[in-house]
Amino acid sequence: MSGVSYIEKILGSRELLYTLLLLSVILPIIHPLGIPIEVSKRTRDVYSYIETNLRQECHVYIEVYYEVAARGELEPNLIALTKHLFDKNCKIVYGSLSAFGVIAFSLFRSMASDLFEDKVYGRDYVYLGYIAGGEAAAASLARSIKGTISVDNFGNRLEDLPLMKEVDKATDFNLVVIASSGTDVFAYYVRQWHTPYNVPLLFAALSVIAPSIEPFVGAKQAVGMLVGQRSAAEYEVLVGRLGLGIASMDAQSTSHMLIVAFIGIGNILYWGKRLSSRRGGGK
Amino acid sequence: MSLVARRYTPQIIVTIIILLSIAFYYLYINRDVAGAFSTADKALSDWAVIITSFALIVGGIDILRFHLTKVRKEGLKQAPFSLVSIGLLVTMVIFALIGWYISYSNPAAGIAITTQPQFRWLYLNLYAPADAAVYSILVFYIASASYRAFRVRNPMALLLLVTALIVVFGNTTIGGVVWPGFLPLRDWIMTVPNTAAFRPITIGAGLGTVVLGLRLLTWRETSWMGRRE
Amino acid sequence: MIGWDVIGAWLCAAMVVWIYSFVYRDNVFYKIAEHMFVGTAAGYSIALALDSLNRVLVSPAVRSPHTFWSASWHYVIPAILGVLMFTKYSKKYYWLARYAVAVNIAVGSGLALRTVPIANIVRQITATIVPLWGSDPVKTLNNWILVLITLGGLTYFIFTTFPKKAEGVKPSLTYLVYRGLYYIGIYGMMVGFGALFANTIMTRVGFLISVYLIYIQPQALASAIAAVLTAAAIILGILRKR
Repeated sequence: MSGVSYIEKILGSRELLYTLLLLSVILPIIHPLGIPIEVSKRTRDVYSYIETNLRQECHVYIEVYYEVAARGELEPNLIALTKHLFDKNCKIVYGSLSAFGVIAFSLFRSMASDLFEDKVYGRDYVYLGYIAGGEAAAASLARSIKGTISVDNFGNRLEDLPLMKEVDKATDFNLVVIASSGTDVFAYYVRQWHTPYNVPLLFAALSVIAPSIEPFVGAKQAVGMLVGQRSAAEYEVLVGRLGLGIASMDAQSTSHMLIVAFIGIGNILYWGKRLSSRRGGGK
Repeated sequence: MSLVARRYTPQIIVTIIILLSIAFYYLYINRDVAGAFSTADKALSDWAVIITSFALIVGGIDILRFHLTKVRKEGLKQAPFSLVSIGLLVTMVIFALIGWYISYSNPAAGIAITTQPQFRWLYLNLYAPADAAVYSILVFYIASASYRAFRVRNPMALLLLVTALIVVFGNTTIGGVVWPGFLPLRDWIMTVPNTAAFRPITIGAGLGTVVLGLRLLTWRETSWMGRRE
Repeated sequence: MIGWDVIGAWLCAAMVVWIYSFVYRDNVFYKIAEHMFVGTAAGYSIALALDSLNRVLVSPAVRSPHTFWSASWHYVIPAILGVLMFTKYSKKYYWLARYAVAVNIAVGSGLALRTVPIANIVRQITATIVPLWGSDPVKTLNNWILVLITLGGLTYFIFTTFPKKAEGVKPSLTYLVYRGLYYIGIYGMMVGFGALFANTIMTRVGFLISVYLIYIQPQALASAIAAVLTAAAIILGILRKR
């Protein structure tokens, strides 16, 4: 067996790669590297938008649409945004077009319990729970929330909640935030909330789906976009509440570098073999 | 039963609802009619919301039937595992029904389906971690594929790799240490060439949706009806 | 006395380790975890569907019947159609389920049809109509890139008709423009897919990090026990096969 093939065989062992990947995630969490983070212009623009365009006690609707796996990317965004909005005394209605949303909200609420300490349920925030129906549900809620569901996730009648006396339809909200791990739901809100009612949308997307919904942001159908853990970490810095986003950044760096190294090695071996076989063929 | 009831009536319903839906949105006669249209339009969306709930229940029962069949047909090798699935499915539904019952029999207790304690315990401690692990397992395959399949064989692959590297360095904090320009360069890639690259796909998806709607409207799309007579 | 919270936390860690063990090798603990996931997922889905149904339909009908029967009586129709969906298990009456499906896909399609032309097509086209000459060279260059790649991508996706090159004849201008845009489209999409690939790594690694931080690290002992059990099961499986 030639040297190149031997190296290829060792590196090609999936057990080795998986173990290295696990170590590249675990080690920087145990011993943080403390790499400084720079805030990108796009994240700063989102922060500035909320600072300048939302007045005190404004109303915001937040769509919680992600499965538990996506918590690492979207929950820190949700927490940082909620902190920012609560700091401005905004009142928030949370809702979910995905059944996962109920778990996501429950976990988010317990992770960010400090933010809700001074807030009163029903007056400062409400969680509508899961509403089945996808795009139809989005369209229905845009026309009338109370006309769609009568009770919230916890069994309270919506008409008894003070916040729900202030808001009912899409145009009652000053901003709609969509924290989603699915591409479709962004399109639902663009089509059923923004296109007919011109409600400003803000996307908080999973990194992997961000490129495909970028055209909506480019066409000004959304005021901005927070993309995954990196934006979450940046937003945590901006609002001054460090959490899962910033805690993950070192591990992101090391694991990314490992994957880049493996791409590099894979290509070096590939080209090494290709060039040597060409040379061999010429002899 | 004749084909009229089996195939044509559902297709007529599809056509009527699509036409009504478009008319409710675009047609304006006067304020009173617009109000009536708005109410009817909302009613249609609510119908879909209600039907989707039933569809989800049917989906869950499909899984139950699938595992019941496995228990019956595949013997001891598979049966214990399928019984685990069936047991947990039934347990969760029972606890949810208890929560539902309490929400009406004792509203002061503040318990609803999703807040029923045992149901909540099950979804937070079994479903949530399993879901997180199942989806995150893909990272191992991405890493493996990066090494085995990401080969620069032609200029297009080279461009893909270079872009990926810039975005990788822009996404991670270590990129900022290597060169501070990675972050703005990543933002530029995302907002200019990437937006332009995905815009035709967005337009194409839009055209696809319109075409699908027209096919439904003209009865050319019938796959939603399932089996053929 | 060990509380349910502690058992829950241990179970969380064990579930994650057992499912991760699949990347090394299939084993009995993975299969148990997999079937637990399937069972809870299906049960959860049914329960949440009941919850949604309760809050949209049942609660208004029970709690304020007068308002319900005067304003929302028509909800009975989708309820009946929904119940008819269960006829799909019947060999004789399966077609009755089609009525509910018909309403659902028609509403979905109708809702999409009326806003998609604006949201996905018109707004995307107007966003691409940008000035190609101006005093700011960076902005002008960006606009050129935006327009050319968008047009190129659209050209690439035209599958039905394209200009043909006649043999032995100098290619026409239409053909050259088409080919040029076609290649710009392909290369532009490669940039998009490169960004997509990089972001995919970000997401997947993010999933792994959060799973570790939330479930494994706080329950290191439970995770270690689960890992040892799984390792034993894997080794036993290999030995039995031999």
